[in-house]
Amino acid sequence: MFLRLVADSFTRRPRRKLLTLAALALGMAVATAALSVSLDVGDRLAREFRSLGANLLVTPQADSLPLEIGGVDYRPANAGAYLPEGDLGKLKTIFWRFNIMAFAPVLEVPVETWSPASKNWSSSGVVDRATLIGTWSGHTVPIPDGTTYVTGVEKTNPWWHVDGKWFAEGADECVVGSAFSIKFGAKAGDILNVHANNSTGWQKLKVVGILSTGGPEDNGIVAPIAVAQQLAEKPGQYRRVYVSALTKPEDAFARKDPKTMSPDELERWSCSPYVSSIAYSIRQVLPGTDVHVIRRVVEGEGRVLTRVRTLLWLVTIVALLAAALAVGASAAASVLERRAEIGLMKALGANSGLVGVLLAAEQLLLAFVGGGIGYASGIVLARVLGERIFGFAPAPKLFVLFLILALAALITLLGSAFPLRRASRYEPAPILRGE
Amino acid sequence: MPTNPMFWRIVRRLLTGNYGRLFVILLALGAGAAVTSALLNLQMDAKRRLTTEFRALGANVIIAPRDTNTTSSGATLDEAVLAQLPSEYEGKTVPAVGFLYLIAEVTKDGTTRYEPAVIAGTVGRGLTEIRPGRRIEYSEALESDPSACEIGAKAAAQFNVQVGDTLLIQNQGRAAVCKVFAVVATGGTEDTQIFVRLKEAQELADLPGRISLIQLSVTGTPDSLNRFLSALAQKFPDADVHGIKQFAEAEGRIYNRISGLLSATVVLILVLTSLCVMAGMSNVAVERKNDVGLMKAIGGSVRRVLRLFLAEAILLGIAGGVAGSAIGLLISIWLGKAVFGVAAHPRWIVYPVSVAITVLVSIVSAFPLRRLASIRPASAFRGEA
Repeated sequence: MFLRLVADSFTRRPRRKLLTLAALALGMAVATAALSVSLDVGDRLAREFRSLGANLLVTPQADSLPLEIGGVDYRPANAGAYLPEGDLGKLKTIFWRFNIMAFAPVLEVPVETWSPASKNWSSSGVVDRATLIGTWSGHTVPIPDGTTYVTGVEKTNPWWHVDGKWFAEGADECVVGSAFSIKFGAKAGDILNVHANNSTGWQKLKVVGILSTGGPEDNGIVAPIAVAQQLAEKPGQYRRVYVSALTKPEDAFARKDPKTMSPDELERWSCSPYVSSIAYSIRQVLPGTDVHVIRRVVEGEGRVLTRVRTLLWLVTIVALLAAALAVGASAAASVLERRAEIGLMKALGANSGLVGVLLAAEQLLLAFVGGGIGYASGIVLARVLGERIFGFAPAPKLFVLFLILALAALITLLGSAFPLRRASRYEPAPILRGE
Repeated sequence: MPTNPMFWRIVRRLLTGNYGRLFVILLALGAGAAVTSALLNLQMDAKRRLTTEFRALGANVIIAPRDTNTTSSGATLDEAVLAQLPSEYEGKTVPAVGFLYLIAEVTKDGTTRYEPAVIAGTVGRGLTEIRPGRRIEYSEALESDPSACEIGAKAAAQFNVQVGDTLLIQNQGRAAVCKVFAVVATGGTEDTQIFVRLKEAQELADLPGRISLIQLSVTGTPDSLNRFLSALAQKFPDADVHGIKQFAEAEGRIYNRISGLLSATVVLILVLTSLCVMAGMSNVAVERKNDVGLMKAIGGSVRRVLRLFLAEAILLGIAGGVAGSAIGLLISIWLGKAVFGVAAHPRWIVYPVSVAITVLVSIVSAFPLRRLASIRPASAFRGEA
């Protein structure tokens, strides 16, 4: 009889139940989506911040002081120390290798250059000095464990925009900065002649793209590092390497000097991907180097990342609260509507306890069905939202399902508790009379 | 709206007929309104906050002479340009520092081996905002010294100097002395430079009244930054004014993500609210069959009856919206504090907007009441469904 009563209340008035169910399911869907996105988005957000550019800079330890003004190093080519390009694969063998997102070595050479395109009826063409920046683009790096990794400057500095295409590795091609392109009248497809101060012959480079960075590179030429090495007569060497690594925002603990830490602390420190611990492990595989943290990037990244994460969680909590309130309210409403029914049951001899259990059973059934539907649609919702907003789909988590079901049951019961208590005090007679 | 007192009396009775339900519907509407206004306000605030956060990353505008890459002394700007820069933009101060770079021979006092280093003469307000990173050593007492200078961490290691040490600088027969008051670490090229007062650098380089470039840190959205840039470019046609793009792009992207997230949450919560209210209203519809039958029987037109319910829905929406949005604004102040460390500034435009949205949601949720229009009085009285 009990089950029949419960079943009846669902089949007799499907429409009324349907709306409550829909509200419940949607509320739980919102909760599921918010939870799934927040649980999964932390790592992805850190990845997003890699568009800020490289956060580590590796330079030779025994280097003379760079004389760099406006991105141009005024040291003569034979001054200062160089590092071997062949060692760079080791960057992907460190403990934090999966956190190393990209790296690109740089070798700058002061060159003289002229472009035949700037030669026209009014001028005989400009021969002027510029900086040629040798680096990688879409370069395949052999890793000591036998695999390869493709990386390049377009990954370490994602804000560098090339109108045209990047140079191909191993070809005599280059991209030129936007300011350079205006000054020398060089367009994509032109041939650029360059020569370093210490060589005599002109090297021909084909311009394949125009680079705009908003930085000093706008005045320079960017070419494969092999070209720069040849011009500087430094085969297989580079001057510095930019590394883009996924890091954990720095906190007070991360700023401690590892030398003063206790063994436990040291272990915790080296097992957290702080930028300083990544720098430490890079120094170990590239001997003779200094690894600098690019403060401007790291601090900005850490600060904004912490903020955005907090925001995400707070929005999740607010969404959960609102969903709970709305669901609780509609659960309460669905009990309130049934005064007449309760009066009749009592008139027929049911006591308050039985009525309460009956209604609670109904609400629980509703909660589980609604919670289940809500979870399923919430997963879909999380996928859609995740893909549209953050560009990835969060993976469904089983524990979220249990959490949602528990939440649904709790909220509907809480929402129903208050009207149920009132219902238990109803006198059947006035209700049945319609008063 | 009718001025008929009877009309309002009926509306009042409709509203107060069932306090439990009134409370439930108001709760749902209020929750929706609170979330809407809190998140909308936060969204408006987030844009401003994020720009501020990213501005902490240092200079984002550079004014340089047209042609800088020829020689090390290169082209220079007139120092007077610095004085003509606006000190405020959109109510925020604009830190602006002029730099004059030169390469000079440097040694620590007491040693004789001179090595070349980049000397940066600085003048202007807000060097610490322009140059991100931190001072790893700093002595306030020495800063006021007329020949005080700062040194980058890498240069400090190279010359083996600490705060309080004296440096000797030489350039083409001209010499200067400076006393180190701070060591700075930025991870950038600043680490290799020595920062002196502009006068000193100008004397060393023999370029009186000249500077190499000006760096500014402008707070503002990407759009207002572009306006600032083009205004400056017009003012100084001889100089090359450009923005540093490295952070602008990431900033825009992250703001879009946040804003998308907040909008999606608001929309979802509003749909949820309206479903909940709708569930309540469909019960109301069932309950009011008799009332409507009676109204029609004594000559109330369908339109009049519907207007009655519309008035009820609007009143509910206003009540829920006014209370909920106010709570939402308070919540957003707290949210702003929790997220950005600074209380969010309540934007008053958010308040009417979220009240209006709530009223709209409430009207939409009263949709089930439409069924009442088609009730026939006779069948209602006979107790038929």
